[in-house]
Amino acid sequence: MLGRSIPGDSALHLLDARIKFLAAIILMVAILSIQDPIIMAVFLIWTMMLMVLSKIRITTILRSVRPLVFIILFAVILHLVTVKGHILFHIGPVTISKEGLYTGAMTAMRLILMVINTSLLLTLTTMPLAIADALESLLSPLRYLRFPVHEFAMMMSIALRFVPILMDESAKIMKAQSSRGADYDTGGPIRRASGLVSILVPLFISSFRRADDLAIAMDARCYQGEKGRTRLYTAKLYPKDIVFLILVLFLLAFAFVGPKLLGGFF
Amino acid sequence: MIDFQNVSFTYGAMEGQYPVRAVSDVSFTIERGTHVALIGRNGSGKSTIARLMNGLLLPDEGLVTMNGKRTDDDRNIYEIRRECAMVFQNPDNQIIGTTVKDDVAFGPSNLGLSRDEIWARVDASLQLTGLSDLKERAPHELSGGQKQKLAIASILAMRPDCLVLDEATAMLDPEARHEVMALVKRLKKEEKLTVVQITHHMEEALLADLVYVISDGSIAFYGTPAEVFNQVERVKQEGLDVPTHLEIAHLIHQETHVPFDSNELIHFDGAVRYVREALDSTSVPNQQNPSKEDMQVEETAPILEPEEGDMSEVIKVDHLSYTYDTEGLSVLPALDEVSLQVKRGEILGLVGHTGSGKSTLIQHFNGLIRARKGKVVVLDRDLSDKKQVSGIRRHVGLLFQYPEDQLFEETVALDIAFAPKQQKKRPDEVERAVLRAAKRLGITEILDRSPFELSGGQRRRVAIAGVLAAETEILILDEPAAGLDPKGRDDLFRDLLTLTKEGVTLVIVSHDMEMMTRYSDRILVMNEGRVAGVGTPFEITQDEQFLKNVHLETPPSKRFLDEFSDLVPQKEKIACFCPLDVKNALLNAIKDLSVGGITHG
Repeated sequence: MLGRSIPGDSALHLLDARIKFLAAIILMVAILSIQDPIIMAVFLIWTMMLMVLSKIRITTILRSVRPLVFIILFAVILHLVTVKGHILFHIGPVTISKEGLYTGAMTAMRLILMVINTSLLLTLTTMPLAIADALESLLSPLRYLRFPVHEFAMMMSIALRFVPILMDESAKIMKAQSSRGADYDTGGPIRRASGLVSILVPLFISSFRRADDLAIAMDARCYQGEKGRTRLYTAKLYPKDIVFLILVLFLLAFAFVGPKLLGGFF
Repeated sequence: MIDFQNVSFTYGAMEGQYPVRAVSDVSFTIERGTHVALIGRNGSGKSTIARLMNGLLLPDEGLVTMNGKRTDDDRNIYEIRRECAMVFQNPDNQIIGTTVKDDVAFGPSNLGLSRDEIWARVDASLQLTGLSDLKERAPHELSGGQKQKLAIASILAMRPDCLVLDEATAMLDPEARHEVMALVKRLKKEEKLTVVQITHHMEEALLADLVYVISDGSIAFYGTPAEVFNQVERVKQEGLDVPTHLEIAHLIHQETHVPFDSNELIHFDGAVRYVREALDSTSVPNQQNPSKEDMQVEETAPILEPEEGDMSEVIKVDHLSYTYDTEGLSVLPALDEVSLQVKRGEILGLVGHTGSGKSTLIQHFNGLIRARKGKVVVLDRDLSDKKQVSGIRRHVGLLFQYPEDQLFEETVALDIAFAPKQQKKRPDEVERAVLRAAKRLGITEILDRSPFELSGGQRRRVAIAGVLAAETEILILDEPAAGLDPKGRDDLFRDLLTLTKEGVTLVIVSHDMEMMTRYSDRILVMNEGRVAGVGTPFEITQDEQFLKNVHLETPPSKRFLDEFSDLVPQKEKIACFCPLDVKNALLNAIKDLSVGGITHG
């Protein structure tokens, strides 16, 4: 999920990363507060619009929901069995109510829409370094509180860069120790935990070595922290960025006051 | 351009650790526009010298200046690092950006250039290194060679005067190594760069204008490649190698005493010309020339004898195919209908370029990957059956590249004990197994030490011992000599050979055709997931075009001997994969000729 950005030049790719970051947070709040099915439908249409705008294959987008399938299922089942109301049918001792079905479906929709919106705006259409730069820029007021904003952003982007490397490395070490007879699949929790030592120690050591190497490589390329450094991605805001932000704010307002507005109509 | 005056450096001097003197009293000057190679054994201080050049390390004593600027002056440091840029050994650990273009932009953005200037430089650097098409890619999607080219591109964007390559090609396969070296050569010419290169590959050192041999932190001797490498004995004493053609020429010189021109010998063609001349001018050989019997004794390459006693098959692979799961994307199979047999006690060399399926194949041999299509039978156990897999691992040891990365215990002895302990052996049995494995690899002296304070070569041995401590009957090694200096490599291979005398079967995966032809009984060539050929080293290296098609090199000894196909008949070439054998074959050939000549006369 991390660092899986897909290069492209769609309208969504070209939006300012800071705006996308803010929009993702605003949309998250908005979607979580949706109570009304009609407003949910509006957000569903909005999400589908974003999907079309991103020009990314639909299967790729839906794949970002996959890690959360269990959480979504769990939430739905919890609602199904706990919410009381008009009984629809029984499965053994469990009764399924109309209200349970309704709140379960709404919860599932909220989670799915939230994940798709954030991954569309951030992980899929924004280069990790641009996210790090955006974060640095958004956090920059914290500078006055002596928070090391630049260092924090640099750490983030390096972490992103090394995720795939460390994943490969841990797979390799695990295979190597398995070849020496280590068994990570069977045995009780204590046995398994002690088995982890044989993976974690080499992984830590190699991470420290990599960190050391990387620090030297950065030194050799004249890195001296924030001082005198040109920021690569803090472009100026264009009208389209502002329009997008206003649109998202409008959606937020709609999520909150929508039910009252709609109530007036019906 | 770079000037060292009586420079010394000691590690750990400031941190209050046990001090290790890495460089002592080194003085030299590197002129602008020259290409200098630093060679020496692992741990001789080469990398330390390189890091002193651009102020990554500062000398304890003495003075380093770069274009007249002292490295110990804080005001100069960033200017010096820009002028004298460095490419390191590990491709993964020097890429900072999350995309190719971001990484190239990292250096220039530290220099505080304008954004337009930065992107212009990024484009220019990528153009120069031929990476323009990969601009938007993430680093982990690149091959090893591409990563090192990226590292060079990133440095070029800072417009340096001097390029320091710290074993920059050590982790690459031969093809990628040649490409990176060709790039460096081109840049040296077009961009007028000074190049300082640290390397274990003597062929690369031949390209330099000057070669410095580093030993124990100081310069043992130096000179032009011709001056250095013609001192064959001296170079070998330093634990290094001389290029094969040069060694053959010198062996011939020792026998024939025909004078040579050292500048000519360093080139392959020159060495061939010299040997041809020397052989022609030699009169009827005297008694000192080796007879056939001597040759048998001196032979280092084992000859395959098919009629030997116990040659049962320990690994049988039958029509094995394998494709990695990659989330719906269609990819070529990693293995495609592979069939092979490995006999007990033999050394099988597994060769093929990167991505040919070698590593997927060996992971089938101990069940790390379970056979889905096709059959893998190891020591009479069918590994497509999951129940058989857990039992097989104690008999089949598998070591990946850089196996020392898997060490984790506090002492060497504990680490070697890991495998026997996993097999739930009694403590006294564990101890016996540890001692036996340590003895086989010559590391009994260091059993009580921490694996993390050992040298690279020792740690490699500990890792191998850690596998051998199980009841290993088959040992599979992926590039066992990667990163070792020539002497370390030869010593390791010698120890591995003694293992086979004790009945261990070896499968060795490597790019190094010279080592593989010298030591393997049979060689199996993989290409694009298929078995492209299998046979004795002699059979495999017969067809130069075949080797080219599967992206492999012809071993230099064989290439040299091929130049004399008029003298040496095919059957004499069978075991000639090291310089000594080549020399003997050549001398025998002219002896036979002159003997034949006498009978005719």
